[in-house]
Formats: sequence, structure tokens, C-alpha cells
Amino acid sequence: MNPHTVKTYDEELHLLDKKIAQMGGLAEHNLGQAFDALQKRDPRLADLVIVADHTIDVLEKEVEELVIQIIARRQPMANDLRQIMAAMRIANDLERVGDLAKNIAKRAGAIADEPHPKPVISGLGHMVEMALKQLKLALDAYAERDAERALKVWQDDQQIDAMYNSLFRELLTYMMENPRNIGISTHLLFGAKNLERVGDHTTNIAETVYYLVTGKPIGEERPKSDTTSQMLVQQGDR
Amino acid sequence: MDMSTVEHAMLTPSATSAPASGTKVTARACNVYYGEKHALKDVSVDIPERSITAFIGPSGCGKSTFLRCINRMNDTIASCRVTGKIEIDGQDIYDPALDVVQLRARVGMVFQKPNPFPKSIYENVAYGPRIHGIAKSKSDLDEVVISSLEKAGLLKEVKDRLNDSGTGLSGGQQQRLCIARAIAVSPEVILMDEPCSALDPIATAKVEELMDELKANYTIIIVTHSMQQAARVSQRTAFFHLGNLVEVGDTRQIFTNPKEQRTQDYITGRFG
Repeated sequence: MNPHTVKTYDEELHLLDKKIAQMGGLAEHNLGQAFDALQKRDPRLADLVIVADHTIDVLEKEVEELVIQIIARRQPMANDLRQIMAAMRIANDLERVGDLAKNIAKRAGAIADEPHPKPVISGLGHMVEMALKQLKLALDAYAERDAERALKVWQDDQQIDAMYNSLFRELLTYMMENPRNIGISTHLLFGAKNLERVGDHTTNIAETVYYLVTGKPIGEERPKSDTTSQMLVQQGDR
Repeated sequence: MDMSTVEHAMLTPSATSAPASGTKVTARACNVYYGEKHALKDVSVDIPERSITAFIGPSGCGKSTFLRCINRMNDTIASCRVTGKIEIDGQDIYDPALDVVQLRARVGMVFQKPNPFPKSIYENVAYGPRIHGIAKSKSDLDEVVISSLEKAGLLKEVKDRLNDSGTGLSGGQQQRLCIARAIAVSPEVILMDEPCSALDPIATAKVEELMDELKANYTIIIVTHSMQQAARVSQRTAFFHLGNLVEVGDTRQIFTNPKEQRTQDYITGRFG
């Protein structure tokens, strides 16, 4: 793309991208580390994630401030306008991803002394992997202005939903087996829900990237597979 | 000009972007030469009625040249030659049988610099209706003058000094006086050639507000160097470059998602 006649405008837009990349990297890192803390029952690691989340919040504020400055001073048009709106929205989604990672870290601290149900933890591990992979792809799509890749991320979210459904069912069963499992199961269930939400924010990012590149919203209805809001487990339902 | 550009230029408003009403001005394969210089190249476009169409583009891109074709202002330039066809309501305005004076009553014009006659405010507005025989009596004329000043949003400010000189008004008031003068002869189309470039932001806002009101009854075409102004006031925007009409479309689309790279580069400040 041709540079702007006014060079500082390019520098500002570049800075915006840089901050988004930084936020994305931190969000990915924190999410991975939050699960590590949970899996390894390491409350100190969990605390690190909780503290590190603050940096993401600060970056979001900086992005917001920069966007407002650019709107006020440059009156952006066309692809520039789409870029700064995209940056604002993506910063917002990444800040939420950071919060969700922090929430998982807090739960990791809370259940550090509890015995782990192995299959659920490994299920969560797969979900984290998938969520991180999707988030990375969405951020790459942003960095490279790749609408195709964004569309793929958007379509693949249902895999995370499917994992969530299966964990949901598994945890309900586990709770029914023994009421003493309810405490840890509830924490793990919220953890799974958080990862499902990370998937949704990733999907938002993908939608934003698609709009940024093409100028059009992603047309069709997104395939949705989170069915847990209608799910009940009956006694003896295994 | 390549064919894809021609195709763009010929685009009539699509189903989603169509104004409520029909086409007022139609240009087909319009070319303008100033002596050897080919200033406007094969421009074809439909201008919808009762709406505001903005022409944007860098200096020398042909936008003012094209604007001046629509009321045959270019006739006044000896070296200028216009080919192709321009119709208003289906009537060829370059038809030799057509009365140019009548045409210019139908197609009014407002210029960059406010240019009131060195006469009273009243006379500035009364001049057109008088020479076109629009008002039958003094009271008719009074009514035309008052209603034109009213429509131009100027009446309140000048009603107690209609006999003062028009040139004594502020720049913004002078420009609205020129608009009142233009609408006094009940034109159908109003051409505006950078009407706000000599005005301060408040006066500009008043003219823009006026344009918004006038579009209910008139077809307005504005040439502007301010992209923000085009985005604010118009429903359709046409981008000219090097004598070509590069892209024309819904203003909403042009400023958020232009189809042509050249349009995007220009409106985002990446030209050259």
C-alpha cells in the first residue's frame, strides 16, 4: 500500500498495529500460563498471570486513546477508518481474553490443593490448545490482512464449542458420582466456559479482520454448536 | 480510459443505493478539450434528482470542468470544445436550438468566492426574476425576494436592511445571498463550485445545513476539495482523476469501502 503523504499518520497507524500485536502476544501467553498453573497446581504461576493482566489493560487504554486521537486529528477514511475501528474492537476482545485468562488463573489458585479428575484436565488441555491455535490464527490474519484465514477461524470455532459440550457433560457426570467433586468441578466448568468465551472473542476478531480487509461483514450465520444452555443430565445418564 | 472505468462511470444507482426519485442529469461520453488539452475524458454518469452529488478529486482532475458543462459555462471559453451528450430530464442541453439563457435559469450556479452584485441585498435577489420575467408585479417580486432569502436561511439576518449593499455582508452571508439569488429564478439544478472554501467553519456549517434543506426541492451538484465536506453533505460521490471519472457511488460506500485503488489512495491522503 502507498504511504500517506503525511508520514506521521503512517507512524500512528503502524504504532496501533504494534500495540495490537503486543496485546495479542500477551493474551496468548497469559492464557497458556493460566492453564499451566492449573495443571501443575502452581498458585505462584497463577499469581504471575493475574499481575501480568494489568499490562494488557494498560495497552487497551493506550489503543483507545490513540484511536480517539487519530479520529480527532486525521479524520480517517476508507481502509484507514476500517483499520482504526478494527484496532479498537480487537483491543477490546483481547482485553476480555486477558480477563478470562486471569479468571482461569484465579481458579487455578483456588483448586491447587484438590485432587484432579485426569480426563477433565486433559480435555481442558485440548481446549486450551485449540483456543490458542485459533487466537494465533486470528491475530496472524490481522497482521497479514488475510480475509481467507479470518473466515477459516470463524468457521472453526464450532470445534471449541463441541469440546465444551463434551466437557460440560463429563463434569456433570463427575459431580453426580460424588457430591465432594462439586467444588472442583464447578471451577473446572467455569474454566471450560472461559475457554469457550475466548473462542467467541477470537471469532469476533476474525469477523473484524474480515471486515477490515473486504469492507463487508461476514455474510452467513455463523455455525454455532454450544448447546449446553439446553443441556440437562438425568440421574443414571452416562 | 480503460473499459472497467467506463463501466463504473456508467453505473446507474443500484437497487440498494437508489434515491427515492429518478435521474435528473445524464452525461454520456462527455469530452472536453481546452485547445489541445484533453481536460475531460469520456465521462458518463447519471445524477439523481433531489439529492446532493459531490465531485471530488485533485486540482486539475476535470471536476469543475465537468460541472461547468452542465450549464454550458464552458461556452464562454473560446478555446473550449465539448463533445458527447448531456441531458437534463431527457433534453439535450447542447441542442443548438436550446436557449442558453433559459438553460442557466434552470441550472443555477454558486461560485467559490461569493460574488454579489454591487447592489442592494434586495436587488441582488430581484435581478434574476426580473430579467426572466418571473414576477408580474412589484408585490410578486417582493414575495420572490423574501421567500428566496428565507429559503437561503438569510432572511432573519437581513430583513431590516434589504436596501443595504450586498457587498457589506459577511462572507458567509454573501454566499447565502448568492444562493438566494440562484434559487430566486426557481432552478431545478444548483451547481456549486467549492462554495465554502472561502468561508469559516460556522458559515460553512450554515451553507451545509442549507444544502441539506434545499435537496428536498433541488438537484445539487457540489465540487469540493474537502473530503469531509463531501462525506458530510452528499448522497452520491464521484471521484475524478486526470480527466477520468474513476468511480461514482453511494457516499457511504465511497468513504468506507471504495472499489478503486485510486479512489482509496486519494481519500485517505496517499496520493502521489
